[in-house]
Amino acid sequence: MPRLPLGDWVDSGVDWLVGHLSWLFDAIRAVLEGMYDGIDAVLTAPQPLLLAGILAVLAWWLRGLLAGVLAFAGFALVDSLDLWERAMSTLSLVLVATIIALVISVPLGIWAARSRAVSATLRPALDLLQTMPSMVLLIPAMLFFGLGTAAGVVATLIFALAPGVRMTELGIRQVDAELVEAAEAFGTTPRDTLWRVQLPLALPTIMAGVNQVIMLGLSMVVIAGMVGTGGLGGAVNEAIGQLDIGYGFEAGVGIVVLAIYLDRVTGALGTQLSPLGRRAAAKARPTAFSYRPRPAVAVVAVVVLALVAGGLGVFGPGATKSTASGTDIGQGKEIKLGYIPWDEGIASTFLWKELLERRGFKVSVTQYAAGPLYTGLATGRLDFETDSWLPTTHAEYWKKYGDRMEDLGNWYGSTSLELTVPSYVKDVNSLADLKDHAAEFDGRIIGIEPSAGMMGLLKDKVLDQYGLKGKYQVVDGSTPAMLTELKRAYAKKQPVVVTLWSPHWAYSDYRLKKLKDPAGAWGKGDTVHTLARKGFSADNPEVAQWLKDFSMTEEQLTGLEARIQKAGKGKEQDAVRAWLKENPGLADTWAPAGKAGQEAAG
Amino acid sequence: MTARIEAEHLYKVFGRRPDQAVERLEQGADRDELRAEGSTAAVIDVSFAVAPGEIFVVMGLSGSGKSTLLRTLNGLLTPTAGRVRFDGQDLTALGDRELREVRADKISMVFQHFALFPHRSVRDNAAYGLAVQGVPRAERERRADEALALCGLAGWEDSWPDELSGGMQQRVGLARALATDADLLLMDESFSALDPLIRRDMQDQLLELQKTLRKTIVFITHDLNEAMRLGDRIAVMRDGRIVQTGTAEDILLRPADDYVASFIQDVDRSRVLTASAVMDTDVRGDEADCACETAEPGTPFTELCALSARLSHPVAVLDADRTVVGVVPESRLVGFLGDERGDPIACDHPRDDRKVTARA
Repeated sequence: MPRLPLGDWVDSGVDWLVGHLSWLFDAIRAVLEGMYDGIDAVLTAPQPLLLAGILAVLAWWLRGLLAGVLAFAGFALVDSLDLWERAMSTLSLVLVATIIALVISVPLGIWAARSRAVSATLRPALDLLQTMPSMVLLIPAMLFFGLGTAAGVVATLIFALAPGVRMTELGIRQVDAELVEAAEAFGTTPRDTLWRVQLPLALPTIMAGVNQVIMLGLSMVVIAGMVGTGGLGGAVNEAIGQLDIGYGFEAGVGIVVLAIYLDRVTGALGTQLSPLGRRAAAKARPTAFSYRPRPAVAVVAVVVLALVAGGLGVFGPGATKSTASGTDIGQGKEIKLGYIPWDEGIASTFLWKELLERRGFKVSVTQYAAGPLYTGLATGRLDFETDSWLPTTHAEYWKKYGDRMEDLGNWYGSTSLELTVPSYVKDVNSLADLKDHAAEFDGRIIGIEPSAGMMGLLKDKVLDQYGLKGKYQVVDGSTPAMLTELKRAYAKKQPVVVTLWSPHWAYSDYRLKKLKDPAGAWGKGDTVHTLARKGFSADNPEVAQWLKDFSMTEEQLTGLEARIQKAGKGKEQDAVRAWLKENPGLADTWAPAGKAGQEAAG
Repeated sequence: MTARIEAEHLYKVFGRRPDQAVERLEQGADRDELRAEGSTAAVIDVSFAVAPGEIFVVMGLSGSGKSTLLRTLNGLLTPTAGRVRFDGQDLTALGDRELREVRADKISMVFQHFALFPHRSVRDNAAYGLAVQGVPRAERERRADEALALCGLAGWEDSWPDELSGGMQQRVGLARALATDADLLLMDESFSALDPLIRRDMQDQLLELQKTLRKTIVFITHDLNEAMRLGDRIAVMRDGRIVQTGTAEDILLRPADDYVASFIQDVDRSRVLTASAVMDTDVRGDEADCACETAEPGTPFTELCALSARLSHPVAVLDADRTVVGVVPESRLVGFLGDERGDPIACDHPRDDRKVTARA
């Protein structure tokens, strides 16, 4: 069989789209982000508990007293976990994606129900959208729309589209043919038949589809966190990246609360909207728990709460504290940083966030996987990142995107990649020793993300050079999974071989042995570079100069990393501040305020 | 009087190349040959005319094409060939919109499984056709309530279809059809889904309504008894063709072929036949000279039997001028009941009749 270059066609198709239709994507992006910002602004305007009250009244009205109380408790829990803004951001994202998915899928479903040809054409397309692994959709979405909300919304709505279309089609087709015939026999126009007979009777099924759309949207939101949509998905993503089980669980609970609330409320909405559902609900005997206020009462309650919320909202989040002190070079200019959840990346990124904020910039930082990070820089959605391992580890990315970004030089000296075993594993000291000990390690090398440069290097070069091909299988996974496996094996004193790199905090936490590389298969050590989007130096000459001059010693870096590790998730910047206090003068060395004079750091 | 609805050489073929199939049928091909070629001929060369105020019943087994035929009459299905004329207007020549208007204003339909809208109240169901016509709410509710009352459903207006029994649901279906004041009622096996007793009730009610409303009705059924009870005229369909059209008596006494004859075996003759059908027209003229009761040509068979039992001689049948037009001897009554027209055969060993009668 000849190799069909399907992938190449898709590549060139995507390239062509990016090249020729960017105006369209920019327009879509603007609309999506506008919708998202609008909804998010409304949701985050009131005090969290007030909005929780409004949402609870909605649940009370649609489902009953118990549902209302539980809804309030759930949202209060989210607020107490300090996840409110993230939850609202996720909710906005899901709402935008759902609204657009419905605007597209319901008419498509109606069309498909009326025409067999359309139905037959749509079906494979829907199968493709629904079963294609979501990451595969996410990457093109990112290329078209860049990092952030728009890509997340598009990926989510594409993923969530299928059940909307299918259930609408199914619902309409399920309507008794005799009823449709009766409508026609009395001279009803096709449009009226749709509105008066088919849609009302299909409504329960369509609402089940809406429910599915929302649920799928929510599940996709977590994955969309990888392209920097933030929200609870972003939180989960960060927690996974940093192996922070507790924080991941909290964010997960937040998603569950949203999911249950949306599921129950849309389910009840389906009942309330459909005439048949209303009758069935009216027949059921009311209990104290299922007592529901009349619509008028509920509307009044919502409006009153909303007014109160609006009034308080004016005073609520208005008092944002300004962290810019001292010499204001940035004057509120926005700088977007991205980082990979590697320790030196986190440390340097939050260090620069702090430094730049002290100089009056408005800095946002977002965590990404390596692929999206480079795409973000290449498309100009991010300003700079500080964690590129060149020339070896990130060679693939540099080859693909290098001409679309600026290299601001390296700030950390030589690093190394290696395979590592715990020091209790005797007799294995060099890569050459691995060959005879395959059975001991189950023939497995615990790898990290397959997208990581060192994985390619390992599979293509290192295994070959030491004759390990066939004896060992490289397990693709993720950095946290690798570290978890190391931790687990280490605790049980089992033999394990993992991919690791220096500097890494694991070397200080565990007693480990770097396997020697006499053949030099890993190549020379990388240096850690700062990369910026094209044109960044021209836009921000001072910052670019600071970054070019920036460098850290091993002592400084490990010190800062340890500090951050100890402070825990969410307190990175506090750790940076404390560390800068202990090391006075460094801030001014790295980000000199120029002729405006020295500022008393800390 | 001109026909209200008229079918002229109607054909309806489903499947591939319907026009070609019609040509083949006109040349004498039969249904099975066409089926082998991938097209299904549901209605073949059907012609009839229904006069205003007439109940025309199309009777046939399932698959005979009777429901397809009914749907071509109001344009739900477009005939492959032939014409449908409604009050002289060719429905097959109308566009979609005009056809819809005719359906909304002049032709209504009652369905086998009632086809009530489950999301509308009984009143809204009955008012549906009026809503399509664009009648203002107050008026259409008044007219819907009237139609419901006519069908014996006064007081149920605010109920929902699923709260009613099958018979009541079909009354709503009937009320919905009557409310629009359409001239033509198409009834598609409308009573077939009902219990036998309810079915009888509905048939009686339809006949009762028809006495005052005088609608033109095309009624589809697979039940010959029902056909004979309701139909002023009956068309028997088989394999897409009408094999016989005539009154109940025509069908019963002069079946066009063995197929029709096999049907009528199960029919309760006593309810269909009248004196004019069973009487012996070979009369002397003095049969009514006694003071005994006499019959008219339209006297039903059962009444005739009762008369005959009270008389010691054959029943005389007198027309409107009091002229004797026929006589009905007892043996003829028994013969018609058993579908036996011949004369009695002489017994080879006669016994004393009287004893047997006395013992019986």
